Amino acid sequence: MTTLDHAKVSESRPNPPKSLITKLNMGTGMIVGIVFAEVMYFWGKSMWDRQEAVMENRILTLSMFAWCIGFLIGIGAFIGPFRWLIGKDLTDEEQLFLAGKGQGVSRYFRYCTDHKVVGIQYLVGVMVMLGAGGTMAMMIRTNLITPGSKWVNAEIYNSLVGLHGITMIVALIIVSTGPFGNFILPIMIGARDMAFPRLNALSWWLLFTAIPVLCSAWFFGGIPTGWTAYAPLSVQAGGGMNAFIVTIIIFAISSAIAGANITTTVVTMRAKGMKWNRVPIFVIGATISVAMAIPAFPSFMASQMMAAFDRTIGTHFYDAEFGGSGWLYAHLFWIMGHPEVYVILIPGVAILMEIAPVFARSPLFSYTTAVVGLAGIVGLSFLVWAHHMYISGWLPSLNGPFMVTTEMISIPTGLLFLVLLGTIWRGRPWMKLPMLGVYALLWNFLIGGITGIYLSDVPADDYLHGSMFVTAHFHYTLMGAALTGAIAGLAYWFPKMTGRMLDERSGYISFWLVQIGFQVLFLGMFAAGSQGQPRRVADYEQAFATSDLISTIGAYLVGIGMIVLLYSVVHSWRKGKIAPMNPWGAKTLEWTVPYPIYLENFHEAPVVTSDPYGYGRSEK
Amino acid sequence: MSTSTEHVMHHDAPEVVGRRERLGVRLIIVADGAFIFAMIFSYFYLRNLNVNNGWLPADGHTFTVSSGWLLALPFIIAAISHNFGQKRRESMGVLSIVTFVVLAIGLVMQWSQLSNMPFMLAEEGGFEGAYASMAFFLGGANLLHYVLGTFVALGIAIRTKRGSSTGTHETWRLRTAGSWFTWLAISAVACAITTSFAAV
Amino acid sequence: MSDQHEVVDLPPTPGERLRNAMKARDVRITMIFGVVITAFFVFIGLWFYPKFMPEIMSESMKRGKDVIVYFTVISAPIAGLVIAIALYTLFDRHHGDTPPEEAASFRTHTPIVFVWTLVSAIFCIVAIVWGLTEMNVNSEDATANAKTALVVEVTGSQWVWTFNYPELGVQSEQLNLPVDRPVEFRVHSVDVNHSFWPVQLGVKVDANDRVTTLAHTTPNVLGTIDIKCAELCGLYHAYMETQGKVMKEADFNSWVTAQGGHVA
Ligand code: HEM
Ligand SMILES: [Cu+2]
Ligand SMILES: [Cu+2]
Repeated sequence: MTTLDHAKVSESRPNPPKSLITKLNMGTGMIVGIVFAEVMYFWGKSMWDRQEAVMENRILTLSMFAWCIGFLIGIGAFIGPFRWLIGKDLTDEEQLFLAGKGQGVSRYFRYCTDHKVVGIQYLVGVMVMLGAGGTMAMMIRTNLITPGSKWVNAEIYNSLVGLHGITMIVALIIVSTGPFGNFILPIMIGARDMAFPRLNALSWWLLFTAIPVLCSAWFFGGIPTGWTAYAPLSVQAGGGMNAFIVTIIIFAISSAIAGANITTTVVTMRAKGMKWNRVPIFVIGATISVAMAIPAFPSFMASQMMAAFDRTIGTHFYDAEFGGSGWLYAHLFWIMGHPEVYVILIPGVAILMEIAPVFARSPLFSYTTAVVGLAGIVGLSFLVWAHHMYISGWLPSLNGPFMVTTEMISIPTGLLFLVLLGTIWRGRPWMKLPMLGVYALLWNFLIGGITGIYLSDVPADDYLHGSMFVTAHFHYTLMGAALTGAIAGLAYWFPKMTGRMLDERSGYISFWLVQIGFQVLFLGMFAAGSQGQPRRVADYEQAFATSDLISTIGAYLVGIGMIVLLYSVVHSWRKGKIAPMNPWGAKTLEWTVPYPIYLENFHEAPVVTSDPYGYGRSEK
Repeated sequence: MSTSTEHVMHHDAPEVVGRRERLGVRLIIVADGAFIFAMIFSYFYLRNLNVNNGWLPADGHTFTVSSGWLLALPFIIAAISHNFGQKRRESMGVLSIVTFVVLAIGLVMQWSQLSNMPFMLAEEGGFEGAYASMAFFLGGANLLHYVLGTFVALGIAIRTKRGSSTGTHETWRLRTAGSWFTWLAISAVACAITTSFAAV
Repeated sequence: MSDQHEVVDLPPTPGERLRNAMKARDVRITMIFGVVITAFFVFIGLWFYPKFMPEIMSESMKRGKDVIVYFTVISAPIAGLVIAIALYTLFDRHHGDTPPEEAASFRTHTPIVFVWTLVSAIFCIVAIVWGLTEMNVNSEDATANAKTALVVEVTGSQWVWTFNYPELGVQSEQLNLPVDRPVEFRVHSVDVNHSFWPVQLGVKVDANDRVTTLAHTTPNVLGTIDIKCAELCGLYHAYMETQGKVMKEADFNSWVTAQGGHVA
């Protein structure tokens, strides 16, 4: 961490309470986790020694769960509940210890309840995931550089696509609400911490346990199903699928916990005077996003548990011979899946709505419209899932109704554009890195949105479904909008999170490389899809060669741009310019606290008297 | 990133914390509810499709309908006894133990139901069909609810016994636990109703 | 489109307001931009995009293509407006480490919000009606042709397609179709999900285990069709492709006979 940080921390080391919690950290967690997994594995081997896929899946799945549980025990996640159980609640001193009081860098490796620590943990975690997913994307594109290139074989290729997909999806679900939702959001609403600090730590460390599990998929034959893991293919798949299933179940629990925590924080812990119409729009967006995940993700979890049972104990949820159905999987998956794309998208857009007023120096245009737009998207997004099943044949007569609900989403989505445009109109944009994101989003989300309307239309989807066109469309929304928003957010809040400014020059270089490369990459992919190239293919015909070559060139540009960004972040974090308290002249509460931030954020509870968008000449 | 020279922990008023915890638990109930809903949806979806006549094969076996209801009963009793005790705190000592014992019995009953499933295919170790799979899954979810319920009930019983269960904050917590037990009862009834529709 | 309504300064009647707003320099320039960009997107939709579509060999394919082309045209003004506004604001940029001067305080503007919502609702309704109509035409065609349609049973298995003509007693790994005769594809799978995609015919339907799904179309141009699988189905999904032919009735009949089938 920063030198700033060290200096102050080392002098004020309070006597840690002499309880078990002081001895536990990530290391003990790993040891206990590995022991648990090993014990489970060998016990399983002795119990079920037949060489059958069912038995092997059973042993692997249980061992992976054992690792997760062991890790959590080893890091002390269950001490709190246990102490509650026996009626000896944690003392103040112990709670202060858990909050990381006076522990310097080591608290990042503990079960630390300070929301700022959790925010940084999420940030680093997300960067690692994006790095891994991005590397896999480069490998996918390298294999597709020419038709017939056998750079990797079909098995590895399919695994790359699946792992790239699920890594990116998980990373993007938490990319904004993890780092900024935990670090910044409580300060933004004037709270001292999250509502449930221990659950906060739990949500992060649960997620952490899933990372090695997901990586282990490589050693058990990969994830050959794509991130959607359609059954019955997923039931047929080899050992790597267990890793996918365990990851999703853990992740669903983690996000339910995080969702309940952030939602409760925002609902009950806002500063005095922060009425609902004075809440910063990022807070609204982040809350909507995590709250939406609460009802949505359990359905995904159920679908994966069923897959696990089919694979490990011989149930038949998805096996048509015994009354199961692949359509059931598709329903459960997309009942989660469509809300989930908005879980990803909304925080990114909300960050840019937070940024636009600051850098255009004009109030957020029509706050109500923004909220109505976001709420409208949420409401509709639970009613559209079967647009992913138009051609599955499950009930063609319902394609019409689902088409209607889907296209209706264009109305609230349009409102979000209006808000952003209204905000920057007649402002003088301050061309800092965060502001560039606003313009990038307007373009990318426009393309993503319009192509989405084609896909929601049944006759067009009859042609486009399952083609590269779809892949290009959702990258425009996920990467072009949500990831762009998250990167802008990183540039915006970097000074508050690290005490230093993000280096501008490398930031600009990265921005342009990524955005230009992105257009080349995915416009090429739109072309390939329109020509008829299916998605998730390891190889293709000569007819698509030009489009794919263009795509790959774009991908390399993006890759280089992302490396520059990584350099910029690492370099600035260590040696960047020291940031002033409020470098952007913004009016939300997080800019009123100096760095390093006091353990409970505010010495005196702030009182809010207006919304944070009082920019503009008449309102100074 | 944060440092501090102060050694005190900030405390909010017990009511404030209590309300907060209640909202948190309610949100978790929403998540759990979505999970139960997903299962019930799957049950009726597969039953309705009846692909390859595999929902309940011609010679298929089912759990008895009454066993589903019998397994909901401990949840109902527990919800009543906890919520009653939570309102009349003087009876909490006894009632918290009742709640715990009832749930523990339910846990054992649910376990034994799952270990004696009538519809297992002997030689392959698989399930007879989609009904069997769903019934197992619903039973498993019930089992998980029993584990969580028993844990909470045990904690409340111990805390009541030790007297750590006094004060405004604790009153709120007991109320919050009340919503949890009520939800467990509701979900068990929903599952019992669902499994009452076995045959197509 | 609503680009005319951009900015209004508070004169009495709506008509006057509009006229005044239109006089503002920034509104005019934005509108000019908007028109140019709209034209650009119309050009992309009408002329450029169709170049990327494969040969159109059936009405259903044509309908799918039309949707894409005309939706591009309809959304061009919206895209034009959005991009024009964004571009215009970029004319007067501010650099440096201190914030620029405060802009006009422009909190909300009910007429604009209203008009914007109305326009996007209209756009949405057009899209819905268009889509429903086309869908309806497709399914009416299917019903009308139910009696005369040539039935082809399509079986997906890892990783080949097989085609069975039950009425003709032919089984083949090659899909041959007579021109101008409606076909009904009855699709199913014997293992995992596949998706039957005769590219140039513009239809697609999933192949599920033990369930039959239907797709209808009428090939109306002679030529070759690429048949692909559009649902990841395991290791060799990428290679689960074959070709088919749309041929003259007579050629088709002789192919059937050569395969040992009987011509109806
Ligand atoms: C450098 C940037 C990226 C490149 C070059 C890239 C490239 C690709 C490619 C080539 C595919 C396979 C398409 C197919 O055959 O279906 C793919 C799939 C996918 N990508 Fe990316 N991608 C990038 C970034 C992202 C990001 C930021 C996300 C965030 C959500 C993402 C999410 C996905 C998903 C969900 C899939 C689908 C995987 C599946 O089919 O199961 N990608 N990407
Ligand atoms: Cu969707
Ligand atoms: Cu396939």
